[in-house]
Amino acid sequence: MEFGPIFRAVTRHRARFVLIVAEVALTLALVANCLTLILDAREDLLVDSGFDEENLIVVDTEPFEDAFREEAYRNRVTDADVAALRAMPGVKAVSHSGFTPWGDSTSITGIQYDGKPDMEPIPTQIYLGDPEMFKALGVEIVEGRTFTREEYNAPQTNDVERPLSIILNRKFADELFPGGKALGKVIRFGGGESPPLTIVGIVDRFYKPVGDVHERVMFLPSRAGGYPFGPSYLVRAEPGQANAVAGDIEATLLRVDSGRNFEIRTMPELRREFQSRNHMLIATLNAVMGLLLLVTALGIVGLTSFSVAERRRQIGTRRALGATRRDVVRYFLLENWLVTTCGAVLGVGLALALNVGLLNVVEGSRIGWQVLAAGVVLLWVIGLGSALGPALRASQVAPAIATRNV
Amino acid sequence: MLGYNLRLAWKSVRRHPVLSTLIVLGIALGVGVATTFITIYHVLARDPLPGKSDKIHYVRVNNWQGLTPATEEGPPPKLAYRDMMGLMKSDIPVRQTATAAAQLVVRPEKGARPFRGRIRLAMSDFFPMFDVPFLYGSGWDRQADGKPEAVAVISAALNDRLFGGENSVGRKLRVEDREFRILGVIDHWQPPVRYYDIVDNPVGVEVEDIFLPFQWVGPMEIRNTGMQMSGGNEGNFDNFIDGLNASERNWVQLWVELPDEARRKEYESVVAAYISEQHKAGRFPRWQDFLVTSMLAFMEEREVVPPQARALALISLLFLTVAAVNLIGLFLGKFLAKASVVGVRRALGASRRAIFLQHLVEAELVALIGGVAGLGLAVLTMALINRGVEDVPPLHINGLMVLAAVGLSLAAGAIAGVYPAWRICAIPPARHLKNQ
Repeated sequence: MEFGPIFRAVTRHRARFVLIVAEVALTLALVANCLTLILDAREDLLVDSGFDEENLIVVDTEPFEDAFREEAYRNRVTDADVAALRAMPGVKAVSHSGFTPWGDSTSITGIQYDGKPDMEPIPTQIYLGDPEMFKALGVEIVEGRTFTREEYNAPQTNDVERPLSIILNRKFADELFPGGKALGKVIRFGGGESPPLTIVGIVDRFYKPVGDVHERVMFLPSRAGGYPFGPSYLVRAEPGQANAVAGDIEATLLRVDSGRNFEIRTMPELRREFQSRNHMLIATLNAVMGLLLLVTALGIVGLTSFSVAERRRQIGTRRALGATRRDVVRYFLLENWLVTTCGAVLGVGLALALNVGLLNVVEGSRIGWQVLAAGVVLLWVIGLGSALGPALRASQVAPAIATRNV
Repeated sequence: MLGYNLRLAWKSVRRHPVLSTLIVLGIALGVGVATTFITIYHVLARDPLPGKSDKIHYVRVNNWQGLTPATEEGPPPKLAYRDMMGLMKSDIPVRQTATAAAQLVVRPEKGARPFRGRIRLAMSDFFPMFDVPFLYGSGWDRQADGKPEAVAVISAALNDRLFGGENSVGRKLRVEDREFRILGVIDHWQPPVRYYDIVDNPVGVEVEDIFLPFQWVGPMEIRNTGMQMSGGNEGNFDNFIDGLNASERNWVQLWVELPDEARRKEYESVVAAYISEQHKAGRFPRWQDFLVTSMLAFMEEREVVPPQARALALISLLFLTVAAVNLIGLFLGKFLAKASVVGVRRALGASRRAIFLQHLVEAELVALIGGVAGLGLAVLTMALINRGVEDVPPLHINGLMVLAAVGLSLAAGAIAGVYPAWRICAIPPARHLKNQ
């Protein structure tokens, strides 16, 4: 192998090789960090909420007629709405609930174990719903039961003696009462007088991206919505029918009562909107990475061409002394590979340093060795690919050139 | 001399069209990406009210009772109505306003369908305090705050929608079951960060359509939108007004203008005194837990600039650097190919300095062309971002962007050109004269 000549060539033309090493190192540092950020962002995008999101439609109503200020009127319209929606073709389930897994509207409360008013409350998300809520969301009640109509219809009181039924998700229930013993247990709202909250049901899954409590929820049976924020509905369509159903909802509900406006969105729309910042981040980082690799490839092609042009005479001499074309190509590729590897080693260090810097600015993961390994392989491929053209051109140098102009 | 150098540079650019295009493209990509993200970062991070933002302060007191959920530390981000009322009795702030958001039904004349309008509840000081620009009329005066009077300020967009863009001052606006007299129309006003609403979505949300005197909360029984919290007794009251006055629910934002450090200290002692007084009455178990935060500090605390924007700005600058480093090689090749010409010029008396400058000018010229292309690219990218992303402020081309593009391309030109220019001017002339 030509390690000796390569080493001497490198020491003679330091600037050129330093440049390639710098390019490769910087590129690797950036690519590895972009990849890490992309992987983090993708993890958020790929989260499976466990709900039947593909087929869900969210309907928000905005009443403007004064009649809606009256609770009894509102409740009558709500029941008529739910019945009308349920009667629509292509509809699988309808729930009167304002809960959406993707969206800015969240509510958090703190709960305590029964009889422990001095403990620090445990934060959890809390949402109101009706008996059909879980069927509409497409989550299964794995223990206990859903709310009853009576619980849902019970008028709201301030009576702290009257017990309320609640439903938790599996993870939260197990966290509070390890060993699957949550069903039937009582908990309380933290920070003051609270009615006893009896766990009557447990659903298998829950997810809503809200800080530390994304996998904790407590559902309460209640009619939600008032004036001017009317009730919201979750409509679950038969597979593939969500868009068709969504298109007919406004007309259906206007026939029930025209004194209000509607906002109707499918869950995938809502999710995409909610995650648009992540989508942009990924698109941008992908573009930056692609462009970066392109620019680096161009840089290596340029420098290697230059290096070949400068050494035409030496190449000619080697050819005249018996080196085959294949030897010449191999020489340049090996040289490139060695230089790229030097750059990659330096780049791994730079990548880790940049990662530390970035983690000061943005939450994220440390660079994994897999990402670094992938980056190194990528740069080897790009380095060799970029050097191949100039190396082939070098192999075309005629031996006769050695006799000229020495 | 510069003219001569520019002419030489232009000739050289044209002699190698492919190579020149590649270099221009490299710079354009780098500058385009960097300009885009630096602009986004700057739009979010810059001082929204230069010269004033250090005087405007946000007030928080910790009225929470008993135990707080573990997710919150320090005073909650908003005030209870009763504490806002108590604190606003102070006359130390030169201006002060409580504010909250709501959504109420607007009933246009002429049988058009009622719709839900986005409302900003505010006080008279809001408009001068936050430099709100008026197209017609003005805000209301302090008298209208207390009673409150049925007056309103509307946005230009709503004015276009309801009144066809005419001067609507003095006209009537029906909100819910009440008639308001329009006092002012706000000129097209969309600060990239709605700096008066830093707790709720300050970025990417439009300025509200209707501004009403805050104290309509009681008579109209208005429930706010946006974040609200409760760390104690929410209060269950038969009467809305009683509930308003007694509830510990946190939903009001309070801004005060304190002209200097002395006034700030003075105001802090007023807040402390208020808390002591309330503490005696059994409230504020957390005692003196309060914050008077300047606007910029509060923006920083609430992460108005999303961390991703910082990360992208950093990455895009590095990208530009890598692009420039990559161009060193291309320039080196390009310049050394002309070594013999340089040899002749040097032999005829051109100084090293002249040769160095000539080549640096060439590099910077190419970089500038790339910079202009990059600026175009940035404008395009921003249009794309505005269409595709929700919570980003509206982005337009501005002076800063042009400046950034030019500055960045010159910097990139320097990174890419200095070493090759130095190499070519350092070549001894004799070597290239020999073999011709």
